[in-house]
Amino acid sequence: MTPTDLITLSLLLAGCGFYLAGTVGLLRFPDVFCRLHALTKADNLGLFLVCSGLAVHSGDWRIVSLLLLIWLVGLLAATVSAHLIARHAHEHEADAPEEENELR
Amino acid sequence: MIGFLLDGLIAAGLVGLAYQAVTSRSLFRGIIHFVVFGLTMALAWARVGAPDLAMAEAAIGAGLTGALMLVAYRRLVEDRRDAPVDPGPAKSRLALPIAIGSGLLVGVIGLSALFSDVEPGQAGQAVLADLQQVDLGNPITGVLLLYRGIDTLLEVAVLLTAFLAARALAGSESGTGSPTTQGPETPMVGALLAVVIPLTVLVSVHLLRAGSYEPGGAFQAGAVLAGAGVLLILSGRIAAAETAGLLVRMGLLAGLVSFILIGLTPLLHGGPLLALPGLWAVYFIETAMMVSIAITLVLLFAGGGGLKRGKHG
Repeated sequence: MTPTDLITLSLLLAGCGFYLAGTVGLLRFPDVFCRLHALTKADNLGLFLVCSGLAVHSGDWRIVSLLLLIWLVGLLAATVSAHLIARHAHEHEADAPEEENELR
Repeated sequence: MIGFLLDGLIAAGLVGLAYQAVTSRSLFRGIIHFVVFGLTMALAWARVGAPDLAMAEAAIGAGLTGALMLVAYRRLVEDRRDAPVDPGPAKSRLALPIAIGSGLLVGVIGLSALFSDVEPGQAGQAVLADLQQVDLGNPITGVLLLYRGIDTLLEVAVLLTAFLAARALAGSESGTGSPTTQGPETPMVGALLAVVIPLTVLVSVHLLRAGSYEPGGAFQAGAVLAGAGVLLILSGRIAAAETAGLLVRMGLLAGLVSFILIGLTPLLHGGPLLALPGLWAVYFIETAMMVSIAITLVLLFAGGGGLKRGKHG
C-alpha cells in the first residue's frame, strides 16, 4: 500500500464516520433544529472528506476541480434547504407538532 | 467480493424500499420512499454499466416524479385536511400469491440469463461497426436517432400527447392553486437561484453535446433543464398560466415538428423515411427535443397550460 492509498483510505473512512454521525443525529435527536444541526454540519464535512479522498486518489487536476465543484454545490444546496426547513419549522412551531412525528 | 456485496446491498435495498413505498401507512412516507427508491435504482443502473439510464432515472424517476408527487400530496391531502380520508382499496387474498409468483418469475429469468451461454445477436455488432463511420461516439444516441428513429419520434409524440391529455383532464379551474412554498422571499433562495440556474443550463447543454460521444442526450438534458424550471416555479419566479404564449407553444412542438420535417426531407429525393441527412440534423433534432421535453415536464409540474411571471418574479 502506497502512502497515497493510505491518505485516501483514511480520508474516506473519516468522511464515512462523519456521515454516520450525522445520520445517527438525524434519527436520534429530538426536534427539527437539533436534527438539522447534526445533518448539515456533519454531512458537509463528510462530503468534503470523501471528495478530498477521491481527489487524492485521482491525482488529476480536472477531476480535483470537478470534485471541488461538487462539494461547493452540495454545500449550497444543503445550506439553503436546511435554512428553508428551519424557517418553516420556526414559523409553524406552535400549530403542527404531530407533523414532525410523522417524519420520524 | 466488494462489488458483490455492493450489488447485494443495492438489490436488497431496492426490494425493501419498494415494499415500504407501497405499503407505507402515511402517504408522505410512501412518496419519500419512492424518491429514495428512484435514486437507488439509478445506482443500480450505474452498477450494470448503463449511465444513460442512471441519469434518466435520477432526473426523471426520482427528481421530477418525486417533486410532482409532493405537489400533488400538498394539493390533495394537506390543503384538504377536513376531507374524509380515503381508506384505499381493500386487501385482496390474491396479493400474497401474486407477489410470490412474480418474485419467483423474476428470479428464474435472472438466473437463467446469468447461466445461459447464448451468443449475443449479430445486429448490435453490425450497428457498432456501422456507427464508426458516422462520427457518433455514443452508440446509444446513434441507435436512438439513426436506427430507431421511429421509436424516438413516437416517444416525443407520446410526451406531447400525455401533456394534452393532462390538460384535457385538468379542466379549466386548474393552474390557479400555486405550488409555491412559504418563505420564498428569503434572500437565500435568490442566491441559490443565481448560482444554480446558470449551472443547470450549463449542465443540460453539456449533457446534450456530450450525448453524441458519451452518456447523455436530449432526454437527460431536457430533464435537467426541467429541474431548473421546477425550481423557478417552487420559488415563485414563474407560475402556471391559463393559456400558453407563442414562445411556449413553439417550444412544446419544436422537437416533434423538427423531427418530422427533417425526417420527411429524404422522401423528396427518393430516400427512406427518417434517414437523417447528417450530423447537423442529429444535433438540431436533439436540441429541439431537449427544449420540448423540458417545457412539457415543467408545464406538467406547474399544472397549467402556459407560464407567466410569478408573484416573486
